[in-house]
Amino acid sequence: MIRSTSNPRIIFSITILVILTVSIAVYSQQPSGSASKPAVQTDVSQVQSIVLPEYPAEIAEGPHVNTYRRDCLLCHTSRYVSMQPRFPKTVWQNEVKKMVEAYGAPISEADQSLIVEYLVVVKGAAPSDTPSVPPK
Amino acid sequence: MPTGHFGPLDRRRFLSMLASLGGLAAASRTFAHGSEFSSALGFATAPTETAARQLVRYPQKTDLILLTDRPPQLETPLHYFQSDLTPNDAFFVRWHVSGIPTTVDLQEFRLGIGGHVREPLSLSMKDLQSKFEPVSLVALCQCAGNFRSFFEPKAPGGQWASGAMGNARWKGARLKDVLDAAEVLPGTVQVGLRGLDVPPLEKTPHFEKSLQIDHARDGEVMIAYEMNGEPLPMLNGFPIRLVVPGWYSTYWVKALSSISALDQPLKTFWMDKAYRIPDNTAANEVPQHLSPVTVPINRMPVHSIFVRPDPDEQLRTGQSYVLSGVAHDGGNGIRRVEVSQDGGQTWSDSSLGPDLGKYSWRRWQTSWTPPAKGSYRLMVRATSGSGEIQPMAQWNRSGYQRDMIEHLDVVVV
Repeated sequence: MIRSTSNPRIIFSITILVILTVSIAVYSQQPSGSASKPAVQTDVSQVQSIVLPEYPAEIAEGPHVNTYRRDCLLCHTSRYVSMQPRFPKTVWQNEVKKMVEAYGAPISEADQSLIVEYLVVVKGAAPSDTPSVPPK
Repeated sequence: MPTGHFGPLDRRRFLSMLASLGGLAAASRTFAHGSEFSSALGFATAPTETAARQLVRYPQKTDLILLTDRPPQLETPLHYFQSDLTPNDAFFVRWHVSGIPTTVDLQEFRLGIGGHVREPLSLSMKDLQSKFEPVSLVALCQCAGNFRSFFEPKAPGGQWASGAMGNARWKGARLKDVLDAAEVLPGTVQVGLRGLDVPPLEKTPHFEKSLQIDHARDGEVMIAYEMNGEPLPMLNGFPIRLVVPGWYSTYWVKALSSISALDQPLKTFWMDKAYRIPDNTAANEVPQHLSPVTVPINRMPVHSIFVRPDPDEQLRTGQSYVLSGVAHDGGNGIRRVEVSQDGGQTWSDSSLGPDLGKYSWRRWQTSWTPPAKGSYRLMVRATSGSGEIQPMAQWNRSGYQRDMIEHLDVVVV
């Protein structure tokens, strides 16, 4: 189900090896303000490689957090949730539905409900709220 | 968004008004830290829970504001917008699926042109650079969701402040020339565009966009291999990306690897469901009455923002300050930028910076000496070369295409 090429940890390991042989060191030392430099032709023998750092967000505790962890973080960082403001339940239901119907996330209907429950606890708002201000 | 008439202020309404003011202040500030603008306004309420914004350093990039790390979405701090061109290492980053390209070998890399063509092509970087006339232009690259975090009510999605855009000089081959070399067949209606990024699951749709064939062949859409005179950073689409001048960057497919001539419109989540706006010029609707018809987001409307003053700048009575910012549109250039220091009652012209072309943003500035202590609402509005102006207020469910007149509340001591 999961393509090996898209597993970030495998990518991470592979790129560690590749990076030793490539020109990243030279490239990354270019200072900012490169906009004013004269044009350079891209060297066509060049291999470019980077290693992606990860900055996982702290995962908020809540009911069914393990279901959230397993089903949601398979494809994306928990920052997709932690960066959001509070939203009413209908917004979170739509988001979870989108993950399943549009992105093909393999989440059972039962688990979808559990995940919505989790999201409403950690990032929920009453339907009539302007969702930007959490209730005190 | 102008807050001239509020009904009775119950507590919730009052809080949401504060949040709105805070958001507006942040529209022109580098960091949306609750503490910064709440202290500027003299209130202790943090306006959103998305306040904490962390600076991180990715390969080939300088310190940028982290939205997400997998896939990466990184925002440019606002102070970089004091230059005409945004440095490559400070340029914002936005990918859609987690399998992003991290290694590209130019010996192996090929751009495929296929589908409804007579001559399918497989072009190396050397082919692109040597077989097609190089062209160059300055164009603003802006995410459809730039400024999303300032909409009220909030919209789900990347909670960008003002830094999901950058202005760069792009060099590359015309898409038209490449399509002509492949001899696009009669009956072609669109081109489909894909990059090297790979979705995490087999069932997840590949990030793929399309352009109408006439647009693709307008001679301005470019396959860019240089950005500000350098190779593109990996996170900005090395080795080549599409440049669609005047259009939102959702079409500027990064690490472009496949162009397909289509005799039917492309059917994909990324055209049919995502990146759609209400079918009216201001991309406007209200939560209670969502627009029944939506269209794919397209050309950028005219818009202007403040870049200065910045959060650390304390304004004092009787001292002269330079107010400055940037304005852009979708291809007619900027004719005029006006600034108000009294909440929109009176407006005066600012001076415009260098004209780098009709697809570039234009910097503006004006000086202001606050006459007395107190609170001031600064506002900015632009007029494009075709006479297009900005709306006073705006909202849509996805937080796209923000082009309303922005304001910045400052306290003078």
